Amino acid sequence: MVFQQIVNGIIIGSTYSLVALGLNIIWSITDIPDFSQGGIYVIAGYASYFAVTLARFPFFFAVLVAMFVGGAIAFLIERFLYRRWRGSGRIQLLCAIALFFLLSNAAILFWTAKAKIFPAYLKGSISVLGSIVSYQRLVVLFVAAGLFILVYLFIMKTKIGKAIRAASQDREVAEVVGINIDTVNSVVFFMGGALSGTAAALISPLYAVIPSMGDLPLLKSLVVVILGGFGSVAGVLIGGLGLGLIESLGAVYISSGYQHGFTFIVLIMVLLFFPKGLFGKA
Amino acid sequence: MKNNLEKTAKMKSKPGLIRNVIIIAVVLIVLLLLPQFASDYIIYVAVLAMIYAVLAGSYDLTTGYTGPLTFCHGAFYGIGAYASALLTLKAGFPFWVAFPVSGIIVFLFAAVVGYPGLKLKGHYFAVTTFFFGHFIYLIILNSVKLTNGPMGLRGIKPPESILGIDFSSLQASYYLILFFGLLAVVFLFFLVRSGIGKLLVSIRENEELSEAIGVNTSFYKVLAFSTGAGIAGLMGSLFAHFFRLLHPSTFTWMTSEMVVIMALVGGLGTLFGPIIGAGIITLILELMRFAPEYRFIIWSAALIVVLVIEPKGLMGIVGRIRGGKR
Amino acid sequence: MSHILEVKNLRKEFGGVIAVDNASFVVEQGTRLGIIGPNGAGKTTSFNMISGSFKPTSGTIEFEGKKVSGLKPHKISRMGIGRTFQIVRAFGELSVYEHVLTGIMAHNLRFTPTADQHHEVDRILELAKLQDFRDVTVKNLTIASQKLIELATALATKPKLLLLDELMAGLTFVEIDETLKLLRKINEEMGITLIVVEHIMKVIMELCKKIIVLNYGEKIAEGTPQEVANSKTVIEAYLGEEA
Repeated sequence: MVFQQIVNGIIIGSTYSLVALGLNIIWSITDIPDFSQGGIYVIAGYASYFAVTLARFPFFFAVLVAMFVGGAIAFLIERFLYRRWRGSGRIQLLCAIALFFLLSNAAILFWTAKAKIFPAYLKGSISVLGSIVSYQRLVVLFVAAGLFILVYLFIMKTKIGKAIRAASQDREVAEVVGINIDTVNSVVFFMGGALSGTAAALISPLYAVIPSMGDLPLLKSLVVVILGGFGSVAGVLIGGLGLGLIESLGAVYISSGYQHGFTFIVLIMVLLFFPKGLFGKA
Repeated sequence: MKNNLEKTAKMKSKPGLIRNVIIIAVVLIVLLLLPQFASDYIIYVAVLAMIYAVLAGSYDLTTGYTGPLTFCHGAFYGIGAYASALLTLKAGFPFWVAFPVSGIIVFLFAAVVGYPGLKLKGHYFAVTTFFFGHFIYLIILNSVKLTNGPMGLRGIKPPESILGIDFSSLQASYYLILFFGLLAVVFLFFLVRSGIGKLLVSIRENEELSEAIGVNTSFYKVLAFSTGAGIAGLMGSLFAHFFRLLHPSTFTWMTSEMVVIMALVGGLGTLFGPIIGAGIITLILELMRFAPEYRFIIWSAALIVVLVIEPKGLMGIVGRIRGGKR
Repeated sequence: MSHILEVKNLRKEFGGVIAVDNASFVVEQGTRLGIIGPNGAGKTTSFNMISGSFKPTSGTIEFEGKKVSGLKPHKISRMGIGRTFQIVRAFGELSVYEHVLTGIMAHNLRFTPTADQHHEVDRILELAKLQDFRDVTVKNLTIASQKLIELATALATKPKLLLLDELMAGLTFVEIDETLKLLRKINEEMGITLIVVEHIMKVIMELCKKIIVLNYGEKIAEGTPQEVANSKTVIEAYLGEEA
């Protein structure tokens, strides 16, 4: 029972980590806590659903569709909205929150509030240490791990990755040494949206596709970013998995109604005692 | 340059004052006479519009005048509503005690949250208030023994009659809310124009300079945050005893977001912008009977459009039309 | 003459970098003290410690015999130390009148400003020759005017000691002369002690009765303008920077 909860926690936590990774990079480079990712997550979830049910794509292509849809929306939002207000963070934050509500409510408008059931793409399960883990859950874990490694390599090894790192250290200096901030922003937002979209496509077959599906991943991954600290990939990973574990174990030991509230108490406590996050650089 | 400056200086003079007085008088007369000719439904909608107007106005005190962006005004509204309802239902308080007490509870609560929270730098406080608002909703939803959770809280009593006025009738409760709503607006009006209001604005404009000229910025930020919250709590109490039925879904993050959008669309830091904007637009949307989810789309889209066209909101647009180029 | 400010062994480190190192000096009541030194010598950092923006790593600052180091800026301001900032700071959306009135409110809060307080604003605006801009929004004015407004607002807080951080930078010669006259008036007629940080030597030499020279966070010389101008260490410090 407990082990089962731990496995579930790690799997749900890995999707939080994915969304949080994108949010973290976006926040540390552009100073925008990009709430719109919660809405992008919803739209990408529906995109993957329709890719499988209407277009009859195999699941793997549906993930790519969600990835692209997520990336494209985020790219457009940055290009045509956030970019206008560079330097006025309040307006960007307000716009981000409005976009979150706009996108998730647009899903209600287009596809109603009723849950849509994602057809299973992979049947069967394996037994690990006496608990049953479906193959679909394992796919979540492996794809998430693979993406983490890819993003890490992208940031550490490629030229644009180096520019991103430079920009996250100091935007102005980066601009002085000839890094094109516009390009960096576009890449970073596309990447963030793609990560959110992938997380949505991965999690949809396990639960359901509904307009409110973005709420918790958004809140939890924002918590992960704040707890993990800016620019810390390890912080994102540990924070995301830790939160997933707290959530699924909390459901057993604390009343399920309060488990999400518990996350926010942890957040508020950490902010009070470690205003820069647990793994944040001073 | 100088000509323009003289023009703006003149704009603020007498004719504007007379016009404002006329507008206020007309609005007051309409509000006072409304129950005489309007249907019950219209009266309900008008009450909701007045409550939202005061919520947006009190939000403006914190965010428009003092500066910090917050996303939990709906939570303070909810705490006030439930506190007042529970004090009367479970502790047997009369409304006339529960009403001020619920305002004080919310004020103190906000001070406890704001004191450490307002020290956070950057967007941390804004994001934290977003979580906090959701957290309060979860508490209301899940504390079933206390709040009756998702079943909602029923049987809340109307205010006891006072001075021979019986508040169980719709009309009388309407006037009660109108009275306290106006009182709140007048209070906010004098507060933002007072010496304290000047200090608050100085924090918004430049916190470091404000501190350097001797303003205890952390104190005044908490004061403004808590005062705005306390007024929202009082409105919550009025809401509870007017509708006599509470449900957690009234106090989700959507409510907080609505208040933010109303204040912004009206024009932050203008007080009357958020109040008039919130009142009129609630009225229109309710009367057009949009389903809630459509309303959020309209509102969210409206906010983005306003941010793109004129971040100063409707008041900014009005000012631009009247004053030509800035 | 008695001391209004006494700085003892003041030191400030930023993550291992020493900005101010063991600086000690006293400021006499009613004087006009200049602090000079090459860029990065620790002048602004010292101001920030005296006014409370930074906490000293070690050392003490006493104002009128009371310890002020470690206090919050608003407390220090209320004790009587006013300041202006190197990069101009202003409440941009306010009118010039409201801006100065805010300074008065910060120290003597009234729910409604009294008639005396309104007169006080007018008096300060006249003194700073800002009366023509009374109703203009601050952000629409030039940097030079905004600096003057910052100074006027500091005066509105009735300071006993004023810290002026490069008030003259970016001003024209005419404006500098006007401001010099104003500063003398503030000092001689209102009895406010001045400490100025300035890069423009003409200003320092004409205005100050005493000068302190900082270099790499250390005090390397102290004396009258003539003494400092002829000091070998000072000349070396300045030439050394250019080499």
